[in-house]
Amino acid sequence: MSSPIILMRGVYGVWLREIMRATRDRGQMIGGVSRPLIWLLILGVGLNPYFRGEVYGEVRYVIPYTYLQFLFPAVIVLNIMYTSIQFAVSVIWDREFGFLREVLVSPMPRALILLGKVLGGSTVAMIHGGLVLILARFADVTLSLEQMAMALGLMFVLAFGLTCFGVVLAARVRSFEGFGVFSNTIILPLYFTSSSVFPLDPALTRTQTATAYPEWLVFLVQINPITYAVDALRGVVIGFNQFPPSYGPAVICTMALVFFIMALIDFGRS
Amino acid sequence: MTPRRGSDNGTSSAKHPNAKVPAMIPAAVTVEDVRATYGTKAALDGVSLTIPRGSSFALLGPNGAGKTTLVNILCTLRRPDGGRAVVAGADVLRQPTKARRSIGVVFQDSSLDDRLSAWENLEFHGLVYGLAPKIRRERSATVLALVELEDWRDEIVRSFSGGMRRRLEIARALLHEPEILFLDEPTVGLDAQTRQRIWQYLDQLRRERELTVLTTTHYIEEVESADMVCIIDHGKIIAQAPPEDLKARYGTRWLHILPRDAAATKAILARYPAAQKLGSHSLALPAGDDAVTDAFLAEFRDSLSEIRFQEPTLESVFLSLTGRELRDRADGQRDAEKAAGKRGGRR
Repeated sequence: MSSPIILMRGVYGVWLREIMRATRDRGQMIGGVSRPLIWLLILGVGLNPYFRGEVYGEVRYVIPYTYLQFLFPAVIVLNIMYTSIQFAVSVIWDREFGFLREVLVSPMPRALILLGKVLGGSTVAMIHGGLVLILARFADVTLSLEQMAMALGLMFVLAFGLTCFGVVLAARVRSFEGFGVFSNTIILPLYFTSSSVFPLDPALTRTQTATAYPEWLVFLVQINPITYAVDALRGVVIGFNQFPPSYGPAVICTMALVFFIMALIDFGRS
Repeated sequence: MTPRRGSDNGTSSAKHPNAKVPAMIPAAVTVEDVRATYGTKAALDGVSLTIPRGSSFALLGPNGAGKTTLVNILCTLRRPDGGRAVVAGADVLRQPTKARRSIGVVFQDSSLDDRLSAWENLEFHGLVYGLAPKIRRERSATVLALVELEDWRDEIVRSFSGGMRRRLEIARALLHEPEILFLDEPTVGLDAQTRQRIWQYLDQLRRERELTVLTTTHYIEEVESADMVCIIDHGKIIAQAPPEDLKARYGTRWLHILPRDAAATKAILARYPAAQKLGSHSLALPAGDDAVTDAFLAEFRDSLSEIRFQEPTLESVFLSLTGRELRDRADGQRDAEKAAGKRGGRR
């Protein structure tokens, strides 16, 4: 009785609602545009001259990238993180203002409701990540169509995983009030320990890491999954990886899968 | 699901071959001994009821009586802790999806997306219920016209008044042409005019579409036209009958009097402590049987400027069944007036 077309319509409906809500949310749009501008124009341009080769004793490190180029993929990830994790607000909104019941009494299966919602949230987050790509020329990054497609693909899977993470958070947060602070205490530490604003070691190779940074910081960077997301995107966008190139996509896909299952379990309870 | 043919109905159908035979149509909603608990508190304590197809059924009770819990169970949002509930032939536990397909729900609090327009809310609903584009457009236009919101179709719901939102919700609940409509306190928080308007739509709908309507309310005047009224209190059904039967069985007749002067008022109040003040001058006393009236008239016939009987209302039924007022203490005065038979609102 539930033909695939009927189910697809439902998923499309839930997805479309998320997109429409996002286009009407001025604050989120402004955040999505201003964030990359601040990070690239101010932090990126400001630190650009200091990002260069260093001499450590006998060894001279040569850095083949400018700081702007190095930072560029990380800002994409930052924009995706903000939008995805803020998605929890939409989930809390639905729950607190009763809209959730409208879909829960519909014949649509719970898993598909969640899928539509998460796809909507990740589409919006991917678009916010894509906004950063407009600044590519400014950061002296040139992208071929193929690179662009690969980047967008990675961005979407990353956005999907983080959006599911947002849903998981939403299930644990009772109100809007705490969520702003709460999300910042999650997003910024994850961002700063993802080797986003500084390379793991000045030589851009892992061999000299310990000479430049304390072990605890290196440890934090290495266990942070966002590190590998940033690394994957850097690999595609500027052709530079700090880790084996397969790590990034593997971590991103694992995150998407694990968080989707967690979100499914949480959502099934509501 | 197999239709059972009662013997008496069999004969009646033989007499009127074209007449509808109630027993052959399975009930729209069947609830058998349903229980629900919150912690140790029982919200529903063995509720059983049957709602025939195409009828209007009102669930009446004070706040916290268990009405919303029952509606949530019937629309598959909450699992019963015991008993069985069948909606449109589908067990809510075993075939929730089938049950969901045949119901439309209007919740106590708005469940519209107030950042979308009226039309977009309907479009969303149509998509979620898997309606084809053409059907979505046609029906959305029809239901919007039904609740007279055509001029507002592209306005964002946030700018809507409470009554408009409620009307839009009713329109939305009808979009997928459900067999059964659940309305949980559909008129709470609305002014008298809007409430009346909403009931007009619902009556019209029921006539046009043979819809089964289950309404919960704590506004007594709204259930007067229901086919069946079920009074629920503390999670138990305490009475279930058509409104006229309830009034005949449990209602109290009141005597409304307007004493000639303050001294007469005082004398009557002293003699009949059960009398209640209505406004500043009139009084109402339980009329009981004719002997009571005769005794009253014999004593006070010279101190009255007006006297009349007030037939029992559902409010007085509720009072005599539960021993308390239906609404919060805050509007106790109004309740007292109403209970004593000063009718307001819809009839």
